[in-house]
Amino acid sequence: MGVTILTQFPTENRTGPHTIDVLSKRIMALGALQQGQFLVDCETYTSVPQLGPQRTVHVLHNSEQPATVFSLLETGTKTIPLATDGLFDLLMMKMSSFYTSKKQTKAESKGPRYEIGDFCVKLGTVTVSSNFKGILVEVEYRPCVVPAMCWDLLKEFLQGFLGLSGPTNPPAYLQNRMQEIYSPIDTIHQYLEHFTIFRKSPGIGMRA
Amino acid sequence: MVQIYARKKALAGAANVLLAGAEKLKTSQNEAVRNRTTLDFHIELLRLRQNWRLKKVSNTIIGDLSYRTAGSKYLQTGTFEVTKAEDDEKASSPPSSPLPSGPTPAKQNSALRVSIPSELQGVAYIEVLCQKDHEDLCSVNINLLGSGPPPPPTQTCIGSKKLEAAQNVLFCKELFNQLAKEAVQLQAPIPHMVVGNQIMATVLPGIQLIIGLCHSTTADKKQQHPSPSKSEHDHVLEHSLHQLLREVHHKNTHHPFPHPATGPLGPSKKRMFAGPMAADRYELLEMTKTDTLLEQIVKQAQHFIMRMRTEYVLDTIAKEVKDPLISSHWNTLNSPTQSCVKINISTHGYDAVCRTPLVIHVGEKSLKCICRDGKVMNMSYEPQELRDLIFCHINQHQILAVQALAKTMGWQALGNSNHLGDDSTGTVEPLGNASSCLMSSPTGDRIIAVRCEPHTGIQVSVAHSPRTDFFPSRLVTERKWEHLGGQFRDVRLDKMEGRNFLHKMELLMASLTSNS
Repeated sequence: MGVTILTQFPTENRTGPHTIDVLSKRIMALGALQQGQFLVDCETYTSVPQLGPQRTVHVLHNSEQPATVFSLLETGTKTIPLATDGLFDLLMMKMSSFYTSKKQTKAESKGPRYEIGDFCVKLGTVTVSSNFKGILVEVEYRPCVVPAMCWDLLKEFLQGFLGLSGPTNPPAYLQNRMQEIYSPIDTIHQYLEHFTIFRKSPGIGMRA
Repeated sequence: MVQIYARKKALAGAANVLLAGAEKLKTSQNEAVRNRTTLDFHIELLRLRQNWRLKKVSNTIIGDLSYRTAGSKYLQTGTFEVTKAEDDEKASSPPSSPLPSGPTPAKQNSALRVSIPSELQGVAYIEVLCQKDHEDLCSVNINLLGSGPPPPPTQTCIGSKKLEAAQNVLFCKELFNQLAKEAVQLQAPIPHMVVGNQIMATVLPGIQLIIGLCHSTTADKKQQHPSPSKSEHDHVLEHSLHQLLREVHHKNTHHPFPHPATGPLGPSKKRMFAGPMAADRYELLEMTKTDTLLEQIVKQAQHFIMRMRTEYVLDTIAKEVKDPLISSHWNTLNSPTQSCVKINISTHGYDAVCRTPLVIHVGEKSLKCICRDGKVMNMSYEPQELRDLIFCHINQHQILAVQALAKTMGWQALGNSNHLGDDSTGTVEPLGNASSCLMSSPTGDRIIAVRCEPHTGIQVSVAHSPRTDFFPSRLVTERKWEHLGGQFRDVRLDKMEGRNFLHKMELLMASLTSNS
């Protein structure tokens, strides 16, 4: 378990698969080896009006932690994170009369997963209800757990193969937590941030 | 007259009734007296029920002696039947029951008859042998019946003894069955062999672990029983095999907490926490790996042999080498697959001057030695490697000790090397390393050179500079050149006085110092 940085990569005028192709060629040229695929998905449930003020539950799965279901409950004033085992999905089904999901909002990021030395790189194609939305690049530096200590290294690595589109500042979510110990739920927070932006943005128009 | 007859008859009738009643009472009393010597059927049944599972099926009483309620998943049933022993059956019961353990007089007193299926009758035990090229290294006989604690007095009713033996047979069968199944399934580099009632697994090159199931009935029991000298060996493996299956049973019935009512039963505690603790896929993969019983017992056997070899090497070196004393301390507490020995190399009478401590961790297939300077040496299962290492350390100890001694004598250590063996300092040793050192006397006019080699032993040479007498020659014209150091002359240590090497060196240094 290390520190993960998630960043969006602009597609410019290319199609999704083409962009992934370009990026995977770059990372392969650096000597990375592909280690299977990855998938992060997110489903959002909203409470029914009878329960009072509206609350939202985001349920996320990350293939890196296959036994875990992550959920983030937004009450309007604060966000409550929760990591549970696989039974949580069944629990949400039981609660379908209180929390209903909008099928159109199911977001996921999936694509190839690479390993290069201490880094793990994932090139994700983001789709929201199967509409292509963009590209998310996830880079994990595994030997370190404190973001502040490896941010510069990660930035350099990201800029190494993303070029100018690499991030110059830590992700907004991490900026207040640079000195804290990184945990898998932090990755989930970053994914949710990006998924929320993608959901709001108009479709790019190019199908994946 | 008629009335008298009638009265007489009535009285006689009444007397008959009373007499018959008295007779009945007498016989029942007699029976009660007789029954007091032999236990009542119902009381015995009650006793049996306190220790065994019994139930009534239509007109018969069926019991279960299997370990299923304790968590066993072995398919073979262990049912037995309890019947009332009739008088004629009592007489014929001793030959029909093959068990020798039950005391015969108790048997005849019993009102119960326990019939056990034929496949569970007799005595069974599991034999574990470590064999080296068809020569026994050790042999352990596992006889669960013998190893168990003596049964409490309430259990001494005859059924219990018989049932315990049958339960033991069932346990041994389950254990062997499980091991045989694993032996066939495991993909070992050298495949395990299962032939008849024997499993053969290669523990270390040339050493096999043989696990056999011995099941005998009364008749041939005595012939099959191995000589008692063999079974007097270390009982570690005996205990382990026993324990391993019990542990499996225990795990089957005891699920780790917390387990919510909706959660699945079975996964380990670690796996339960994997979800909420967000374990990644590598951690999850690690969790799925569990050692089978056979793998565990093979590991324990490997460790057992490694420990024995280490003990042997250390003991033989301690016997061979008298000069530095080698003492080894084994930790009394160790795990079945890891133990630790502390070795102290010291010289008698000079313990305070220099001591070389070593720690050796004995694992399953390797040894790890932590040296005096903190270096860690990893060694394989070959005992020769350990031997070399110890000899190397003996040499180093001698060199270090002689330098420490020199310091206390006011001599100066000029230099030392623990690893000689290139061209400039002598030939390469076939095994181990030679080490050496140079020391000079307080005034600097004497130099002692010491060289320790594993094979030739210790060589000591002395050089004088300047020599006490000087004769100018054509090459060496002035006396000052003699200060450069003279020729080394060997000291014949074996002719010297002194208890051991360090004592001799002390005397040598003392004599050389006093001269100046």
